[in-house]
Amino acid sequence: MTKKIILLTSVLFLSSCAGTSIQDLGDKFLDLINPSDPAVEVEDLSDSVLMLDDESGSFSGEDLGDAGMNAGEESSGKTEAEIVVGTLADAGVSFVLYFSYDDAEIDEEATQVIIDHANFMKNNPAISLRLEGHADERGTREYNLALGENRALSVKEVLGLYGLENRVEVVSFGEEQPIAFTHDEDSWQKNRRVEFIYQ
Amino acid sequence: MKILKTLALLLTLVSTVAYALLEVTIVKSEENAFPIVIAPFEVIGDADQGADIANIIRDNLNRSGQFNALSSNEVITNKIDFSYWKARNKDAIVFGKIEKVSSKVFNVYIYVYDIYTKKRLYGKKIAVHNSGIRRISHYLSDKIYNVLLGQKGSFDTRLTYVTVTNDEKLGRVYQLEISDADGHNAQTVVKSSYPILSPAWSPDQKKIAYVSFKNGRSEVFIKYPFMRVKSIKLPRFDGIASAPSWHPGGQGLALTISREGNKDLYFYNLESKKLIRLTKDVAIDTEANFSPDGKSIAFTSNRSGQVQIYIKDLTNGTIKRATFEGSYNAKPVFSPDGKTLALIHRIGKDYRVALLDIKTRDLTVMTQNKLDESPYFSPNGGMIIFATNRNNKGVLSVISLHNNQIVELAQKGAEVREPNWSNYSK
Repeated sequence: MTKKIILLTSVLFLSSCAGTSIQDLGDKFLDLINPSDPAVEVEDLSDSVLMLDDESGSFSGEDLGDAGMNAGEESSGKTEAEIVVGTLADAGVSFVLYFSYDDAEIDEEATQVIIDHANFMKNNPAISLRLEGHADERGTREYNLALGENRALSVKEVLGLYGLENRVEVVSFGEEQPIAFTHDEDSWQKNRRVEFIYQ
Repeated sequence: MKILKTLALLLTLVSTVAYALLEVTIVKSEENAFPIVIAPFEVIGDADQGADIANIIRDNLNRSGQFNALSSNEVITNKIDFSYWKARNKDAIVFGKIEKVSSKVFNVYIYVYDIYTKKRLYGKKIAVHNSGIRRISHYLSDKIYNVLLGQKGSFDTRLTYVTVTNDEKLGRVYQLEISDADGHNAQTVVKSSYPILSPAWSPDQKKIAYVSFKNGRSEVFIKYPFMRVKSIKLPRFDGIASAPSWHPGGQGLALTISREGNKDLYFYNLESKKLIRLTKDVAIDTEANFSPDGKSIAFTSNRSGQVQIYIKDLTNGTIKRATFEGSYNAKPVFSPDGKTLALIHRIGKDYRVALLDIKTRDLTVMTQNKLDESPYFSPNGGMIIFATNRNNKGVLSVISLHNNQIVELAQKGAEVREPNWSNYSK
């Protein structure tokens, strides 16, 4: 309750001094940029982009809930996808590929694993794949996010040779979701990975 | 007087429930600090807060690395024994009093004297609400810093950072936090089961841009920590959207956006909702940071085959490589004067905060750590805050560029990471 009152005061306070804070900068940034710069492309996203984030309107914006619940829901019975994916696992095909430091290259061994997945997907046309790319904790977080995406994209590229690119979604978690937590090569090796998740 | 009212009001905003406390420790103290005395304040009436003011100011000045601020045994009223302090090699003395006016309002008097010239350098009477004691102490710390050093302090500013805890029921819990520059008044802005990274205060300090994975992939959001309004989600395409960096004018942000697998830098104008592409290269371009004049961006790219830092001049479109020492340099941030970049430099197997003189290309490694991340300058440029590991735990570290003094901010039972320092209050 105290919190609410404080929040109200803050809104009143901020609105009372809004006159000084609103800056009419418009497209000033555009004027700065050299029009002959070949990298510069301008897109108007005012019609196409959903701007408000409807799910977190409150002050503390607690996103908890769904993540904690998911585990319970999944135990209620296997989906058809889970059953067919089980056959792939039974055949001994790995659902994780590992990478070298700061590298997204696919070696021969990994290519064979991807081919096994490609064949599986061709035999199960209803199934789609989510490739989750990860990095170890070394280096910066944002660079690692980009690196994780490149790793997943390398795998997708091989699947693309089999015409499967439209059934593959790529997501990167960078170094944010490690599976091993010590600060040594042992853990780092396990964390530099792409996971295959069928849906 | 108007200013004071504003201060008091802002204070009521930050004095909500403190969810978690950052523990502040001076890890490595160095010589070459200004020796001064900050006496306990004289208390008139029922005003225990007097002790807090002197302590907060003393802690602030000591944390900066610029001062060796000690207390005196006794309260000093108006007769200063200059020869006594001169004999003890003190250069300046700060004293004051706090006087109760009503149940919640106090008058604070503060004086700063030069011990050698015996001149008063600063004197002020301020009326303050009970909830404004900390804020006033930070404000006065900035004043003292300024009269003694001729430079701006960074005390009356805020931090934002991310904490990670393990909850028995929920698993990993990520919290976007804000606090005063000294780690006090911590408040949770976002609590989530999904990773949060790269928080950045807007130049007007009313908004925080950050990256959340709550929708299954990295997206950039803007949150208003002091207002009850919805947060804003910035555009994304088929890949990552990440690495927000505010333009100093506040009208928009540089972002890393991946489209068809290609990670390049874009500028998103919050008002016109126009997206402007800033780089076009098949390599990874990320971690953009605007120069203080807004005319160039420093960023990380592996376009040479190595991870290095580049600076793009937005006025003529040229891109120049900035780092040449070592095979991994990333996450550049400009100093407030625009002359230096703080960055992460790999040396051997370790990742350490380093400073790059943009003009001379001189690179200075600042720490002995193994896994430094996310450096950011204090708004006066005198300190760098960054994340590192201490005893297998994520902590924040603040290094003074004056004498390399190190202060650590840790939280019990939590990893603390991704620090960002606000600009000055207006």
